[in-house]
Amino acid sequence: MFMSDLQLDSASRAERSVAVSVRGVTMDFGSGSPAVKDASFDVETGSFLTILGPSGSGKTTLLRMIAGFQKPTQGTITIAGKPVDADPPNRRSIGMVFQKLALFPHMTAAENVAFPLKMRRTNPAEISGKVEKFLNLVKLDGYAERRPHELSGGQQQRVAIARALVFEPELLLLDEPLAALDRKLREEMQLEFRRIQKELGVTTINVTHDQREALVVSDDIIVMDQGLIQQHDRPVGLYRAPNNLFVASFIGVSTFIDGTLTADGLKVGDLLLPGSATPEATLGAPARGAVRAEQLRIGAGPEALAGCEIEMDGKVEDVIFEGERLIYVVGCERAPDIKFQIYHHDPHSFDIFEIGSPVRIGWHGKDMKIFNHDA
Amino acid sequence: MTSSSQKLIFWTLVGISIITLSMPTIIVLGASVTSGNIIAFPPDGFSLKWYEKIAMARELRLALWRSLIVSTVCVIVSLPVGTVAGIALTRYRLKFVNLINIYLLLPFTVPLIGSGIGMMLVFGEWGILGNVWPVGVACAVINLPFVIWSVSSSAAALDRDLELAAENCGAGRMETFWYVTLPAVMPGVITGGLLMFVLAMTEFLVSLLLTDARTVTLPVQIYNNIRSIITPDLAAISVVFVVIALIAVWLLDRLVGLEIFLKSK
Repeated sequence: MFMSDLQLDSASRAERSVAVSVRGVTMDFGSGSPAVKDASFDVETGSFLTILGPSGSGKTTLLRMIAGFQKPTQGTITIAGKPVDADPPNRRSIGMVFQKLALFPHMTAAENVAFPLKMRRTNPAEISGKVEKFLNLVKLDGYAERRPHELSGGQQQRVAIARALVFEPELLLLDEPLAALDRKLREEMQLEFRRIQKELGVTTINVTHDQREALVVSDDIIVMDQGLIQQHDRPVGLYRAPNNLFVASFIGVSTFIDGTLTADGLKVGDLLLPGSATPEATLGAPARGAVRAEQLRIGAGPEALAGCEIEMDGKVEDVIFEGERLIYVVGCERAPDIKFQIYHHDPHSFDIFEIGSPVRIGWHGKDMKIFNHDA
Repeated sequence: MTSSSQKLIFWTLVGISIITLSMPTIIVLGASVTSGNIIAFPPDGFSLKWYEKIAMARELRLALWRSLIVSTVCVIVSLPVGTVAGIALTRYRLKFVNLINIYLLLPFTVPLIGSGIGMMLVFGEWGILGNVWPVGVACAVINLPFVIWSVSSSAAALDRDLELAAENCGAGRMETFWYVTLPAVMPGVITGGLLMFVLAMTEFLVSLLLTDARTVTLPVQIYNNIRSIITPDLAAISVVFVVIALIAVWLLDRLVGLEIFLKSK
């Protein structure tokens, strides 16, 4: 199995040391429900953790508490074995790349990178050596004397990374620094972050609302919503086995089917759809099934759906062309309320079903996850 | 409306503005180089004799010197106060921000003659009238909102995370202010400082109330001269004033023209 390459077994996981430990951290601003509720997790030394969630999920608040900009209402944060709750931000050994970078506008790139060392009273000879080394690491040699406004967006990012890492902190925090970049540059910088992080082996916590970024760069992902940690897992685990409906809908594209959970699967009207229910799902209760768009099959007739336990006739209602793939939106008479979203990818043929074409769709029973759903 | 008639109205308005705004300066400039003995425009011949005359006039030179002292004192007093207030009001979460703002803008709500008389009474009580420096302090008080505004607008344009970034880099509160916040708002500080210098240089009403024969400033001296006899040397002094203001604008452009480059994106 490929999975075993990506997932460390529990024994080797336990051998690794913990760089950051968050225990029972709650942040209550006193307006409505808490921004972060009872968050607990560990980050392994040298690993790259992403906190993924929509805006308002509490992910940025959690990051700011770790940085020391906000004091948790409750709970303890430990960095490198030492509780830091009483330490102000400047006494924590944490490098941070801010959302809008927050480069010092009146300083050159080199002065920006030198600043953390200057504040730590490092001797000048050592400072210039380290500044050179880190500008080199982020591939900015030759730009040392430029001010931030004289650099491109990507170059500014690199200065910010160098500034955050130059004093060799225990922990690197990334507060959505890539959100403002265009897609191509963003993807380039994601890989760049990953390269630098691996090269230095610095423990990193990244915050983002971009699920693709989270899957691409992370060793571990925490999904947050409404101040609660919804799931903490490796990227593959998270994608393959979402804990709950929120995680299933936030990551990837799925078609959702409402019904009632029975021992044999999801009952939708007179249909009985087999699937794998999460442990929390209760028999007889309202439930919602989810099938990923890439797990649905589509064809002109049954021959294209070999092996699918569930098959239905449908009609193409919309076609979205994305270049490397198509998305079909299909409606079925037997399940009139559901719009099936289906990825279709055939590198050798550009035969496209027109809107209104009759098609047959299907999926494997095991691919449908069934969750508790309070209607 | 057609675009050509729009253009016509636009350029007419621009023309009127340029003429009305620059006319006094042009007339004064012309009148100052007359070779005649009365103020006249267009000038009667060309000579620089009136400039020579004001350069030789001892009381004018002394008045100019005093005005420079007043301006310097005004800048020294107002800049630290205005800078700290401007930064604090925009960048730190303070209680009663609105109340403090209104309080700091009070100097603008009192007519100059009112604050002038008030300060005359207070300074008289303290026995410091008859010195030049209290005029500078008075100018600092009445014009303080200008520095606060200038620094505030610079401070408001900065990324809110700038100070957090400095702390994250290991800087304490004082280091953050000294190495990051203050340099980053420097364009506003320079603008405010030059503005205060020029305003104090040209301040008339408050100077009139706070000075006596030994401490007259340049604007008051000019006023005294007008009352006796109007000769072209007054036009020459006015030109000197205009030149001082132009130097300030030029400095502003050299020093703060950089502002747009200094802004963090």
